Amino acid sequence: MDILDKIFTLLIFPGGLFLLILGLAYEWVDRKLLAQLQNRIGPRWFQPLADVIKLLAKEEVIPEGVNPWLFIGLPIIALAGSLTAALYTPLVGLPPSHSFPGDLIVTVYLLSLLTLCMGLAGSNTLDRFSLMGATRTLTQLFSYEAPFMLSLLGPAIVVGSWRIADITSYTENHWLLLSQPIGFLVALIGLIGKLEMPPLDAPEAETEIVAGAMTEYSGRGYALFRLAKGAELVVGLTLVASFYMGGMANPLLFLLKTLLLLLVMVGLQTLITRLRIDQTVGLWWRYGTLLVLVQWLGMIIWKGVAS
Amino acid sequence: MRLNGHFLRNTMEEIKTWARINSPWVLHFNSGSCNGCDIEILAALTPRYDLERFGIKLRGSPRHADVLLCTGGVTLQQADRLRRIYEQMPEPKFVVAIGSCALSGGVFQGCYNICGGIEKVIPVNAYIPGCPPRPEAIIDGVYKLLASLKPAERALEPSSHEYGDRAEVNS
Repeated sequence: MDILDKIFTLLIFPGGLFLLILGLAYEWVDRKLLAQLQNRIGPRWFQPLADVIKLLAKEEVIPEGVNPWLFIGLPIIALAGSLTAALYTPLVGLPPSHSFPGDLIVTVYLLSLLTLCMGLAGSNTLDRFSLMGATRTLTQLFSYEAPFMLSLLGPAIVVGSWRIADITSYTENHWLLLSQPIGFLVALIGLIGKLEMPPLDAPEAETEIVAGAMTEYSGRGYALFRLAKGAELVVGLTLVASFYMGGMANPLLFLLKTLLLLLVMVGLQTLITRLRIDQTVGLWWRYGTLLVLVQWLGMIIWKGVAS
Repeated sequence: MRLNGHFLRNTMEEIKTWARINSPWVLHFNSGSCNGCDIEILAALTPRYDLERFGIKLRGSPRHADVLLCTGGVTLQQADRLRRIYEQMPEPKFVVAIGSCALSGGVFQGCYNICGGIEKVIPVNAYIPGCPPRPEAIIDGVYKLLASLKPAERALEPSSHEYGDRAEVNS
């Protein structure tokens, strides 16, 4: 029975199928809202699903000059990373299915696995657009990773625990959005950078470098990367919503909160044009990190004074 | 048991066809056009016509594309590039020839530097006439191509084998 329960956890409810479907649904919401804001009708509700099935059924071309094992393996590792990260997060407001002290650090690292895999996948090929996309992906990884992590560690300092379950049970009664607005903003924009959405989509700018690191991927590999990105979108939104917007809640309310966050992200996508890669790095290291550090300092001083 | 296997395979095929019809990603290639047709293609991709309703998206990479939109008669220099772009696309792939020049060479037919229409170089699945065709005509052409993928109408699809032979002779 225990084994069956574990298999169910890994493959169906928080782990596998549910997360993939939720990822596709969020991708549709993102595209539909973007279309509506651009005065278009937008894609039909099954569009992301049709895209993924079509890509899975397509021929996979393995270009010359790549390491075939890496070329085939990297999308699988990326998807596995995002799916594993979901096990430690309170998806749809339910308690995380697995938890141990320090799982916040593990989750943040599992979330970076996708970007790292995309960077490696791009640099694995000989194509110039892929290489340029890979360079930009990794540059962007180094720029947003520190502030994103610092902003997720802010709630951890307040609570005094590295466990996601502890933090979310504390934030249930405290909206950290009010006491740590800078951390919230940096986490949200960091998520946009992580998912390479506009305006931080320099790594896959289709008007400059075709599709960035994904240029040489066709069929299955590209489909898996898309699924991984959808899963990461869900996990990232869940983390930000549960840390900053009132912890675990009624599933419906929680979904509404994540959708509200997605709406803010889509608004930023429509309002702001793409930043150059040097502007992205400047944004994070000149403003993002500094602001979060200032907030940290304030929090530590306040904690010292209060105790 | 064998019947079940057959049923399963049929269902899989149907799901695949459904996905292909609903998510055609296009790639645009100009092999010597006067840019009239290209501008009409771009017009078809604008929010006014909103092709994302049908799942049509413009991709930059031939590796992601399902449908190759070709414009213009093929110049001798572009013939090799056109063939290479076509070969870089993963199966299943479809080609749409857009505009009079892509159909037959148009006003450039018989020029010293023109091979003729797209079909002289690569197999074509759908032809959209016009000089240039309106965006509505382009959308209609792509839609008819996709409708021909449905099993009931598959008999109407031109066999790519026949065109492949012609391409061999003419290239």
